[in-house]
Amino acid sequence: MKRSISITAKAALVATGLAVAAPAAAQTNLDFWSWRQEDAKAYNEIIAEFEKTHPDINITYTAHEAKAYNTILTTALAGGAGPDIIHTRAYGSLENISGAGYLEPLDGKVDFSHIPESLLRGTTLRADGKVYSVPFATQTVLVYYNKDLFDKAGVTPPETWDEFKQVTDKLKEAGITPLANGIADGWTIEVASGAIMPNFYGESFFGDVTSGKTTFEDPRYVAALGKMAELAPYMPTGFEAVDYATMKALFTSGSAAMFIGGSWEIPAWREAGLNFGFMAGPAAKAGDTRMVATWLDGGYAVNAASPNKEAALEFIRFTATPEFAQMLADKLNNVPAVQGATPKDEALQQIIKLQEHQTPYIMLVAFRYQKPTGSTLLQDGLKKLLTGQATPEEVAKAVADGLASPE
Amino acid sequence: MEAVDFERAKAIRQRNLRLWLAFLLAPPALVLIIFVFIPMVSAVLYSLYEWDGLARGEFIGLRNFYDILFGPRLSAELFNAFWNNVKVFVTLMIVQNGYALVLAMLLARNPRGYRFYQVVFFLPVILSTVIIGFQWKLFLNPVFGLVNKALIYFGLSDWALPWLGLPETALPAMLLVNSWHWFGFPTLVFLAAIHRIPTDFIEAARLDGASEWRIAREIIWPLMAPAVTIIVVLTFIGSFNWFEIPYIMNGLEGSPEGSTDMLGLLFYRTAFGSVSVGTSDFGHGSALAVLMFIFIFVFSILATKYLTSREVEMS
Amino acid sequence: MANVELRAVDKSFGRVDVIRNVNLDIRDGEFVVFVGPSGCGKSTLLRLVAGLEDLTDGEIHIDGQRVDHLAPSRRGVAMVFQSYALYPHFTVRENMGYALRVAGEDKAEIARKVEAAADVLQLTEYLDRKPKALSGGQRQRVAIGRAIVRDPKVFLFDEPLSNLDAKLRVQMRIELTKLHGKLGATMIYVTHDQVEAMTMADKIVVLRDGVVEQVGPPLELYNRPANLFVAGFIGSPAMNMFEGSVVEAGADGLVLDLPGVGRLSWPASGTLKAGDKVHFGIRPEHFIREGEPDGKVAGEVYAAERLGGETYIYLNTENGSEVTVHASGDWAARPGDRLEAGFMLENAHLFGPDGQAVPGREG
Ligand SMILES: Nc1ncnc2c1ncn2[C@@H]1O[C@H](COP(=O)(O)OP(=O)(O)OP(=O)(O)O)[C@@H](O)[C@H]1O
Ligand SMILES: [Mg+2]
Repeated sequence: MKRSISITAKAALVATGLAVAAPAAAQTNLDFWSWRQEDAKAYNEIIAEFEKTHPDINITYTAHEAKAYNTILTTALAGGAGPDIIHTRAYGSLENISGAGYLEPLDGKVDFSHIPESLLRGTTLRADGKVYSVPFATQTVLVYYNKDLFDKAGVTPPETWDEFKQVTDKLKEAGITPLANGIADGWTIEVASGAIMPNFYGESFFGDVTSGKTTFEDPRYVAALGKMAELAPYMPTGFEAVDYATMKALFTSGSAAMFIGGSWEIPAWREAGLNFGFMAGPAAKAGDTRMVATWLDGGYAVNAASPNKEAALEFIRFTATPEFAQMLADKLNNVPAVQGATPKDEALQQIIKLQEHQTPYIMLVAFRYQKPTGSTLLQDGLKKLLTGQATPEEVAKAVADGLASPE
Repeated sequence: MEAVDFERAKAIRQRNLRLWLAFLLAPPALVLIIFVFIPMVSAVLYSLYEWDGLARGEFIGLRNFYDILFGPRLSAELFNAFWNNVKVFVTLMIVQNGYALVLAMLLARNPRGYRFYQVVFFLPVILSTVIIGFQWKLFLNPVFGLVNKALIYFGLSDWALPWLGLPETALPAMLLVNSWHWFGFPTLVFLAAIHRIPTDFIEAARLDGASEWRIAREIIWPLMAPAVTIIVVLTFIGSFNWFEIPYIMNGLEGSPEGSTDMLGLLFYRTAFGSVSVGTSDFGHGSALAVLMFIFIFVFSILATKYLTSREVEMS
Repeated sequence: MANVELRAVDKSFGRVDVIRNVNLDIRDGEFVVFVGPSGCGKSTLLRLVAGLEDLTDGEIHIDGQRVDHLAPSRRGVAMVFQSYALYPHFTVRENMGYALRVAGEDKAEIARKVEAAADVLQLTEYLDRKPKALSGGQRQRVAIGRAIVRDPKVFLFDEPLSNLDAKLRVQMRIELTKLHGKLGATMIYVTHDQVEAMTMADKIVVLRDGVVEQVGPPLELYNRPANLFVAGFIGSPAMNMFEGSVVEAGADGLVLDLPGVGRLSWPASGTLKAGDKVHFGIRPEHFIREGEPDGKVAGEVYAAERLGGETYIYLNTENGSEVTVHASGDWAARPGDRLEAGFMLENAHLFGPDGQAVPGREG
């Protein structure tokens, strides 16, 4: 690793008594870890831009396997190692490491003026109220549809739940699987709930449940769960075993007409040459606003144990600028958390427009700080719900009880 | 003078021998200390503290163990996973090792081309578990998978189930995959054990009028006891540490509905959290690891003791 | 009780012919010994009778019934292996009773037969031990006991004594002979120990390279070996052989020229003619010191073993051949002495160029 090399070099200098001052022209090497393997090329371009204005800093981007990233990172940090710059997740996952003191607090060191308060909350440690990571991008739950298949079945994108069901029925009649989603990977069904449920439980539910005014056994939430149960017949045969990879294959191959998923899927659809569109989940009834669930995907943080904190902070400050946000949008098609960028991409523009009616992706944003997490409970419940093994009431109760009795 | 030289030469020889021994034993001993002993001790230490994410909190004695064994949620998960591991052990003993035993007995009679079969049967063993898990996950895919396509092709559409998605079929499917992956190993061990039995015993039994089945049961089986010991103990350890196949084929959560949850998965989830759910919890994770280690260690030793007692020397 | 008959038996492993056209008649109750050098096919022939190997060609009959198509257990034979092949996980009792248990006999009956056999073999006190806890001789007896219990028509032994020490071997040899007498069963016994063969057999079968060289009672083989191979194989120390040639062949006999012995007349001529190469043989024990010998062998003593009751003397003749003399009593010979040993023609053997014996006076 770069860092260990530089440490050795320093040790050698100290040993020979020459370490009076580092030579001015010396390069500072920084390690930057992430889980975004597919983004390596774009990040290297962004880093190259940064290095143009900072010739004394040299950043190496390393992307680990996404599933193993948390483990690799926490193990390294616990062992006193780890990179200088850390691509972090947000919310509960971030508190895991920020709470343990592995990250440098950023308040007063970074200019947060371009970042909305609501997003900064996702990278703030609740215990001390300090920000530990610069929010980088938001994700939005969307309902994607295949325009060619819609044409073939003679349907147009639905606006309301009733229309949605008519469309799915027509697709089915035309021999097309209406929905690519399955439940084998629990998180994909939680994502799907982010498109369907908010329009039924309404805008105020999030505030009510997080402030303790109500619980998940609230009739609004139970009713929303009931709608999720109605999705099962539109899913592929064998949806119980349809995992994320299969879902994507079904949609890109044109076997399924709709796919409920995150905004990060867009590049994949484009790559597959799909003629697709997307929309927010259907409204409960005509005239209601259609809300989209959003969350902060993560941020950039500095390792508190880094020997090159100042140089790392220099890069972190850069990530909080509109200039960076513009690159993030144009090179990675991410919806930047930092405001002030105008994405060239039409889809991004459309997402930013849909975000005008946004609601927090509930379990991740507010209920992933304890064990069991709201996500665990909801994913379990949704699987049971869709396989007909639990009623909406039972699922709601299981979620409420689970959250009320943390371990 | 000569006597002195003789003593000296002897001393040098013994010193050299000791040096050699130290030289040969030091690396494995070091590896053992660094990669086995230290992690074990640190797991025990970790398990005695409260953990907040990665930050170590207060010393809480056996509290973590109590939570795992008696806490409302963890204990339910623990016993579900443990019961699944038991199912894995029993099924692998019957399906994988039983099949291997029958196969070994057949191969031991040197049928035509048995060397070829021996190689073919062993092939899956040398393939990587990761690749096999992934491959079979694809074969069993409800939409694109070969298995269901074949079933439909042969007019068995009703049989084309989402194998990995149903609580009743997910674990059996994975166990079949695991058996397919590993059966060559016990087959080989059993075959070697059968070959070690002098043919005189079998011919004597044949002259005594014993049927092939009787010979297998009353002569070969007792005399291959050492191989059975090895396979039972290895299967036991493998079953209670089962991780790769369930992780690759059905994920960290033991889905569907915990039907494929294993102690190893539960440990991983508890200790490190997972991407989609949960946060890491070293305390309960370490406590679980310690419990698993103690359980596997104690039972392996008991099993070895018991099984070794039924072995007989041949000669 | 049964006779055993082998008709034109052939056995090959792949391309190698191990047994070639063997015909044998073994009478009921006979003790037959197969001898021959290592690898000549003794064990294979025995295993063919047992049914552990399949015939390539020919027929085997036991007790008048053709058996070569039957499973080993249905031929009425019991075999004692060289390794004993006692089941290591069974006690002596279980080992001996296994065949009966397999046959489904009732427990009391099995116990009775096992105990009877154990009594005969003096194994009663070891019945509950495992084979590992027995001495070699005891294991040997268990192996025999296991055969006896089955009450077979034919006993087959494959070098059963070869793992025992010399003393025990002599003892077991005698016991086996006694057992044969007591049971009166047909026994086929493989060995390459000629003392065993000579002392135990009613009939010896000499095999070489899968071919039967001669069959007959021990003394017939000793006195009238049919060919050079049998002559050399039977008898210990081996027969002295002198190579020579026929000088004259007439109706009433031959004149032989034998370097080391001199000229000799042989009372019969067989089919030999002048110029034929011959082998002339005298057993070491047939040399005489006194009397009127028909011929003499002279040479220089290079070693003498004087055991008191008997003496072995080793000579070098002038033409370089080595001669062994075995005399009873003490014969005061020392290395370097010149010595003459006489012989009588009636004790000598003559073999023609084809290796077959040429009849002497009686023949
Ligand atoms: N299963 C077999 N496959 C191939 N060749 C064999 C087999 N069994 C025996 N032979 C060969 O047949 C020949 C006779 O073997 P056999 O065991 O009958 O000899 P033997 O006379 O009993 O010798 P020994 O005195 O050494 O026991 C040998 O050349 C041996 O190599
Ligand atoms: Mg032999």
